[in-house]
Amino acid sequence: MSIAVVVLSLMAGSYFIAVLEGWLVHGRLSLTRPAISALALLGRESLVARTSDRLFFEAGPVLLLVAGLLAAAVIPLAPGLIVTDLATGALFLNAALAYVLVALIMAGWGPNGAYALVGGWRFLGQFIAYAMLIVMPITAVAMRAESLSTIEIVLSQTALWNVVYQPIGFALFIVAALGLAWLPPLDLPNAPGDLAGGVEAEYTGARLAVLRLARMFIILVMAGATVTFYLGGWLGPWLPAWAWSAVKILAVTALMLATGRLVPRLREARYLELSWKLGIPLALANIFLVGVIALVVPI
Amino acid sequence: MMQGAREGMMNGLRRLVAAATARDLCAFVVPGPDVARARGLDFPAAGLHLSTTPRHANVLLIVGPLPPELVDAATVTYAQMPRPRAILALGATDISPLPTADAAGALSQSGLVAGVTELRRVVAEGAFSVDVTDFDAAALRTRIEYTCPMHPEVVSDKPGDCPKCGMTLVPKETSAGGHASHKAMETMPADPPQAAAHASHDHKAHGDTTAQYTCPMHPEVISDKAGKCPKCGMFLVPMEDKAEVEGGHDKHASHGAHKGHARHGTHQDQSGHAQHGAEPNAAAQYTCPMHPEVISDKAGKCPKCGMFLVPMEDKAEAKGGHSKHASHDAHKDHAGHSAHVEHGADQEHGSPGEHGGHGGHAVSQIDGIEAHFMSMADLTRDQPASPDGLKMEWIATPFGPFFPGMPGGLGLTLTLDGDTVVEAQARSLAGSALGASPDPHTLADRMADLTPLAPVAMRQLVCLALESATGQDVPLDRATARAAALERERIVSHLNWLAGFAAQVGMIPLERRAATLQLAMRSADAADVARRAGPIRSLLHRIRATPLMREKLAGIGQLDNTKVTTGPVARAAGVAADVRIGDPVYAALGFGAVIQSSGDAWARLHQRCDEISQSLDLIARAGAIETPVPGAARSASGSGVAEVETPRGPARLRLTLDAGRIAATEITTPFAALSGLIGHLTVQAELADALTAIGSLDLDPWELAP
Repeated sequence: MSIAVVVLSLMAGSYFIAVLEGWLVHGRLSLTRPAISALALLGRESLVARTSDRLFFEAGPVLLLVAGLLAAAVIPLAPGLIVTDLATGALFLNAALAYVLVALIMAGWGPNGAYALVGGWRFLGQFIAYAMLIVMPITAVAMRAESLSTIEIVLSQTALWNVVYQPIGFALFIVAALGLAWLPPLDLPNAPGDLAGGVEAEYTGARLAVLRLARMFIILVMAGATVTFYLGGWLGPWLPAWAWSAVKILAVTALMLATGRLVPRLREARYLELSWKLGIPLALANIFLVGVIALVVPI
Repeated sequence: MMQGAREGMMNGLRRLVAAATARDLCAFVVPGPDVARARGLDFPAAGLHLSTTPRHANVLLIVGPLPPELVDAATVTYAQMPRPRAILALGATDISPLPTADAAGALSQSGLVAGVTELRRVVAEGAFSVDVTDFDAAALRTRIEYTCPMHPEVVSDKPGDCPKCGMTLVPKETSAGGHASHKAMETMPADPPQAAAHASHDHKAHGDTTAQYTCPMHPEVISDKAGKCPKCGMFLVPMEDKAEVEGGHDKHASHGAHKGHARHGTHQDQSGHAQHGAEPNAAAQYTCPMHPEVISDKAGKCPKCGMFLVPMEDKAEAKGGHSKHASHDAHKDHAGHSAHVEHGADQEHGSPGEHGGHGGHAVSQIDGIEAHFMSMADLTRDQPASPDGLKMEWIATPFGPFFPGMPGGLGLTLTLDGDTVVEAQARSLAGSALGASPDPHTLADRMADLTPLAPVAMRQLVCLALESATGQDVPLDRATARAAALERERIVSHLNWLAGFAAQVGMIPLERRAATLQLAMRSADAADVARRAGPIRSLLHRIRATPLMREKLAGIGQLDNTKVTTGPVARAAGVAADVRIGDPVYAALGFGAVIQSSGDAWARLHQRCDEISQSLDLIARAGAIETPVPGAARSASGSGVAEVETPRGPARLRLTLDAGRIAATEITTPFAALSGLIGHLTVQAELADALTAIGSLDLDPWELAP
C-alpha cells in the first residue's frame, strides 16, 4: 500500500518537475505538454551507438532509476506512510544514492562517445565534492534526533525545525543536493551548453525516457530528504500530514530547479575547492554547534 | 510522404504518437542558433523548441543557404537523429545529399511559422510508414585509418607503428570522401564518429607498405606488415634503414647518460638527452605555421604574425639525421636546444601538424624497450603523457561546426587528454571567398548575405570603399546616420553573443532576455532604440552583478596586450585599437574607445557590455539610423580602401573600379587573427574553460575569406 502511494507520488512529482522545467527552460507553462512530450519520446527510435559497451549502456539508466526508488523508500510522507522505517534510514539513503555515481559513470562510458565520457568523469569529480557535504550535515541532524530513523528525525523537529536549529547544515545540504541531482549550476554531467547533453547525449527514445524519469526521481528524493531532515517532514498545522509533505517537497523542488539557472555553471574543480576548503570546515563547525546546543538547550 | 518516417503501420496508437510528435517538435538548428537569431528567427514564438544534440531532436532546421562542407556535416547530423525525423529548410534550396525538405519556407519569421505549421501536418500524417528506406550518402561513409598521436601527418590504413617515432598508431574514423586531406578530423561532423550511420569500411590502399617491420626484442622476426611479434607479442617497429638504426644504437649504447632517459616516448619529457633526434643541423630552415612563405635560416618569430617559427620538415633530413649524432660532442652540447624551446611554443600555438623535427624518437624508443622490458612505463609508452605525467588516451573530439555554445560553422576539433585540451584545431567551414560582382549594389547585397552576423558592416564597407574610389563626399548627417546603423549592429551582435554565452554557461533566463532584445533591436529605428535602452541597460547591470560570474571567467582565456591587436578582444586587454578613433564622424559624436585591463574572458564580457552601452549613447546622439546603401559608381575608375570597425574588429576592403564596374576586391576580416588565438587560449585548459575561452573571442566563421 505504502509502496503504491510512494511510487504514485514520485510519478506525480515527476510530472510537476516536467511542467516546471518546461516553463523554466522553454518558457512555456503547459499542464499537458509533458504528457505529449513523453508520448513523442516513446514513439522515437531508441538507438544503440555502434561500438557501445552494451551492458553499461543498458544498465546505466535502469540503475539510476533503481537508486532513486530505493532512496525514496526511507522518505516518510506521513506517519505510517513510508515504505520501510529502517532504524538506519538516514544511512540507507546515502547508501542508495551512492549508486547515482555508478549509474552515471556507466551511462557515460556505455555509449563510447566523447561527450558522454567526459560527462561521466565530470560527475566523478563532482561526487568527491558533494559526498562529504551530504553525510556531515546528516550527522548533525541525527545527533539532535538521537536516531538514524527518518521518522524519529522528523519527530525530533516538533518544537523547532532543523532549518532554524542548524541553518548552516541546511545550506550545505541544499548545495550538496544540487550537486547530487546534477541540477544547474552543477549540471556538469549533461551541461547543455558546453557538453551537448553529456551523459544523455547518446540516449534516445525509451532509454532516454528512463534516464530522464530516473533523474526526476533523484531530484524528488533530494527534495524529500531536505524536507525530512530540515523542514519538519509532514509536520504542520491545519492541513493533513501528507499534504504538508507534498507542499514542502514540491516547494523545495521548485527552489532547486529555479535558482541555479541564475548563475553560471561551476566547473567541478571549483566546486570541489569550495566544498572542501569552505564546506567541510563549516560542516564540522555545524556538528560542533549542534552538539553544544543539544547538550545545553533541551529543544 | 515523410522521408524520415519510422517503420510501422499507422494504427490507432501510432496515430496518437504521430500527433504528439507533431505537437512536440524539437529542432536541431543548422548552422546554429546564433546565425538563426542574426537572421531574425524567433523559435519560441513559432512554437519550436531547440535541442542541444541531434539525438534528442526530431527536426533538422536548416537556416539559410549552407556552404558545401556544412551540408555534408548537416547530412551526418541528420543521420544521427532518431526516426521519425523531418527536415525544415528556410531559404535553402539545394540541400542535397540530404533528402528533400519535408517543409520549406522563406528565410524570415513568417516563413518559419508557415514552415512549422506545414511540418506539423506532415509529421502528424506520416510519422510512421510501412516502406521506409535507409538514408545513405557519401558523407556518411567512413573508414578507419591509423595515425600517430604525435605526427598527424603519418597516416596509414593499417595498424602499426609510426615510422618517425615508433609509437603505435591509433585508429581514427574518418570520412571516406576526405581522403585528400589527411587531417582526419577536419571533416568530422557535429557529433562523435560512432554516431555516423552504417559505415562501409572501404580501405583504400596506401602506397607506403614497402617498409619491413621487426621486433625490438627478437631481431630475427622480420615481417612485411606491421603487427605483433609472434614470440613476445610486442608491436613490431619499422626497419626503416637497418644499418642506420643499428649504427645509431651502437653510438647511443656507449652513451651512459642514455640509460636514465629510456622513457622519452614523448617530447613533453624534456629532461636530459631526450630530444637529440630533433637537434637541428646547420642547414635547418624555419617557417611560420600560418605563413608558409616565410622561411628563415634562424629560429625566431614570424614577421607577419609574430608566431614562433617552426623547423621545416625535411624528409631526407629526418631520416639521415641520425648520422649526425655520431660525434659525442654533439650530445654534450645541450645548451643549444633552441629548436626545442621553439617547439614548446609551437605546441602552445596549437598549430596542427607542424611537429617537424621530431624525427629522431625511434632510436630512443627502442632504447627504452631494451632497458625496461615489460615495465609499466613501456606498457603505456604509446600513450602520450600530459605535463602532469599521467598517461591517458587522447581523443580528438569535434566541437563543431554545429556544437551548441560554439559559433555555428566553426570547425573546431579539440584533442582531449581526459578533460584537458592538449591541442586545438579550428577553421571556418562557413566563410566563403568574395567572388566577382561587377555591380556595386550587387556586391553590397552579396557581402551582406554571405555574412549573416555583420551585414551592415559589410554594406558600410562597400559604401566607404566606393566613395573613396570615386572621391564622393557624403554629408555629415547621412554619414552619422550610417554610423548609427553600424552601432545598432554592434548592439545586436553583442546581444547575440551574450545570448550564446548565456546558453553556454547554462543561464537560460539571461539567454532568453538577451535574445528577445537582440531580435527587437535588429530593425529598430532611433526612437525604438531609445525606448529599449532602459531594458538593455538593466540587462547589462544584471549581467555585471551576476553572482559567481567573476569566479567563472576571471583568468580564463588570458591574453596579454601583445598577443592581439584588434577588436573588442584587444580592447579588453587594454589596447585602445579602434578604427573609429580617427574617424571624424565618430569624433563629432564624442567617441572615445572604452577599454578594460585584464584581458581575460571576464574583461571581454565587460568590454562587450560597455560597448553596448556606448553604442546606445552614440545612437542617441546621432538621432537617426540609415542603413548604408552604395550610390551609383557612375563611370569612375580608380581604387579605394575603406576600414570599418565591425563588432569583432576591423575589416578592410580594397576596391578597384574600372569605368563604374568593380574590377577587383580584396578583403581582410578579423576571423583569421582571432581564430589564430585559439591554440594559445586552450592548451592545457580544462574542457569547459577552453570552450568558455573560445566563446569569449566571439568568432564569426562566416566572415569573408581574404
